Amino acid sequence: MTAPEELRLRVQLTKKGPARYLSHSEFSRAIMFAARRAGLPLEYAGQFRARMKLSLSPPLPIGVTSECELVDFQLAGYLSPVDAQQALNEAFCGGIEVVFCRLMGSGERPVGKLIDTATYRATFPEEAGAREEWERAVAEFLAMEVVEFERVQPRRTRTLDLRPGVHSLELEDGAGDSPVRIHMALDDGTRGTIKPWEVIEVLARMAGVPRETWERALVNRLGLFARRGDRLVSPMELGSRKPAVSHRGGKRY
Amino acid sequence: MNREAPGCLWERIEPLLLLVERPSRYIGGEWNAPEVKTGGTSVALAYPDVYEIGISNTGLAILQEVVNEMDGAFAERVYSPWVDMESEMRSAGIPLFTLETHSPVKDFDIFGISMPHELTYTNILNLIDLAGLPLRSGDRSEGPLVVGGGCGCANPEPLAEFFDLFVLGDGEEALRALVEVVTRAKTERWERERMLQEASLLTGVYRPLAYDVDYDADGIIKAVTPAAGVPEKVRKNVVDIDRWLYPRRPVVSFCEAVHDRLNVELFRGCTRGCRFCQAGMISRPVRERSAGEVVKLVDELAGRTGHEDVSLCSLSSTDYTRIVEVARRVAEICAHRRMIMSLPSLRMDGMAADIAARLDRGGRGGLTFAPEAGTERLRRVINKPITDADMVDAVLRAVRSGRRRVKLYFMIGLPTETDEDVEEIGRLVFRLRDAVRSEGLAPPSFNVSVSTFVPKPHTPFQWFAQEPMESVRRKQGILKTELRARSVNLSWHDREMSEVEGLLARGDRRLAGVVERVWALGARFDSWSEHFDYSRWTEAWLAEGIDPEHYIRRGRDAAEVLPWDHLDFGLDKGFLLEERRRALEGECSPDCRDGVCVECGVCDALDTRPALKGPWGASE
Repeated sequence: MTAPEELRLRVQLTKKGPARYLSHSEFSRAIMFAARRAGLPLEYAGQFRARMKLSLSPPLPIGVTSECELVDFQLAGYLSPVDAQQALNEAFCGGIEVVFCRLMGSGERPVGKLIDTATYRATFPEEAGAREEWERAVAEFLAMEVVEFERVQPRRTRTLDLRPGVHSLELEDGAGDSPVRIHMALDDGTRGTIKPWEVIEVLARMAGVPRETWERALVNRLGLFARRGDRLVSPMELGSRKPAVSHRGGKRY
Repeated sequence: MNREAPGCLWERIEPLLLLVERPSRYIGGEWNAPEVKTGGTSVALAYPDVYEIGISNTGLAILQEVVNEMDGAFAERVYSPWVDMESEMRSAGIPLFTLETHSPVKDFDIFGISMPHELTYTNILNLIDLAGLPLRSGDRSEGPLVVGGGCGCANPEPLAEFFDLFVLGDGEEALRALVEVVTRAKTERWERERMLQEASLLTGVYRPLAYDVDYDADGIIKAVTPAAGVPEKVRKNVVDIDRWLYPRRPVVSFCEAVHDRLNVELFRGCTRGCRFCQAGMISRPVRERSAGEVVKLVDELAGRTGHEDVSLCSLSSTDYTRIVEVARRVAEICAHRRMIMSLPSLRMDGMAADIAARLDRGGRGGLTFAPEAGTERLRRVINKPITDADMVDAVLRAVRSGRRRVKLYFMIGLPTETDEDVEEIGRLVFRLRDAVRSEGLAPPSFNVSVSTFVPKPHTPFQWFAQEPMESVRRKQGILKTELRARSVNLSWHDREMSEVEGLLARGDRRLAGVVERVWALGARFDSWSEHFDYSRWTEAWLAEGIDPEHYIRRGRDAAEVLPWDHLDFGLDKGFLLEERRRALEGECSPDCRDGVCVECGVCDALDTRPALKGPWGASE
């Protein structure tokens, strides 16, 4: 008899409402405390100060909401995904909810080493100018070979090229008076990170929209993926017996 | 989270959140945050420091639950907004708000403010001002009753003019009684004056403006005269903590709190009688919680919070009569739940080190002891007679159990201290290091933390002058020379902060103007070294014509009326004077747990007895 395979629980969470104001470290703390309250059979590392074995998807900027935050828990025993989802949902608060749980073998890459792409939707306030301006800006952005952006960080400021990290960018359809919505797929994770605000800032500059206006856009992370060629593959599908599903052709997460 | 409450400010607060550091400080809605049932008598409970510090305060957590369990009353939390949020709130015209419903504090019936220590006093004024209330009690004809509580109430006189009421001692029963009076006042539509008058008759409730203070030509108090109908002395509250098993649902913060752990109280009060220690004097008698309740609380709360750490807290945890048994059972729970137990406030003796070494995994890296003074003579003066042999034993046990760091707390500026006592601190640390080496073990690193002694009210040292700053500087210099070694890390308390603490700790009502002026000059978060500015204090006392030396450096005469003499924490003044005499002669006093009464007066004054849950010493 062979030893049973080690199990991993992959959980998809939302981060909405008040939880959008949590930093990445606060969010991961909330996840660990909830997992302990939920009584999951968790695997720990370390002799004296035990550390929960988990892997988290790439950080979300403070203020951005999300439909899809991922966490992999290493399990010490079996637990059905349905029970896990119920126990976890009872242990979360403040806009964090469990969307989906699945069990998988621990041979697969954990989310922290798997995710390389994120999709976002930015919804702009009414005063954000005409659709045409934004349409033009999006077309201009996509036509450029290099999009220079000055990234200001606490310790250093550097200029980088956003263009290779932007995999899709489009204005969503809408009637004349509906708010402007932009959908984008950006590098996020193992292959580098482009923040949605960086793309929005460049587009807004092209569209002539002032900072005070575009800063009030609501940004929502829709999905996290691993790129396989030019396909976006959901980490919820990977490692299962079902064939990986392609999300080309307009279907969005 | 209740966003439906009338007057909810959330819509105006939310746009500010992306402009400030750590917006999670202001969102509320944490795990175990109560769903308050608004309506009835409302209580806002504030901690005058930033969220991460305030959330760790067990006292406020207990009081919030106690009120929320009452019918027709609810309590919400408030913390000081950090400086960035304060400036955004002021420019947007948003008043101080609570975390549960984001309602203005001004609309509450009771505004309770904790007074943890002197350096929060400017933040306390800032809270009252941010709430949109006039600072002084006399100027408030409406709005919530501003009520103070906590250790600061040992001598709240410098803030007497800003508060309507103070609660002395344990708050559980007193706050309930106060809420009941306010509820009656509301239903029967009493005038504010009548409400305050009725409240001031409750046990432990002190209405400062009902007491008139007269001073003589030298600025010394001649007399404190109570108004008609209020008691001559206000007696503190004492509860049996075995009947108040709180908190039951501690809030789990989103961010990491300063004391990020489950706190379960073993006992209140302390009978060791360290002569510098205000907490040990004003919280007598010692009242233990039953072992079974402690263990049960740890297990239940661990499941309800998800904490990874639990601390069995008290003023001297290894003095708990059932400590060995409780620590063993809690350690079992911890092993099962993958938690870590720690025992704060350990005495530096073999038993403490032994328990810690066997069971306390909290400071796997380190263990903290507080010998306080460098020589056995001075330790007898402060009535903490730990011998050097005890210390060597404690450190050896710590190192043998794998500790790599030992933290030692000392004080300088204690009564009768000489330079030799200070030099001896350095030598003691090296003796401890060498003792470890001579056993063939690798010595740990020593973190030596040296604070400056500030004489506190209601202690045997309340009559002494505080050490001058210049002399403190010299003694800190001695330590710096003595303790030069790679394995020793020396830190000390800011001298200027100690001056301000000394001023306010034994201050009287004439300091109100100083505190108000310092606040008006922009003082916030005085206990944070990056925000503390001594020049504001010097400017303020010059402008107010206050001589700080009168408060800080003056030795008080035994017959002098002290500003806190009418606040009765049960201690007999004769006992404190006798302890002062014994201190000067280097005599120790026994611990009343040993069955020898030291006649501190508390049991008779408060009609109570120490409540122990096992024979003292049985655990050894």
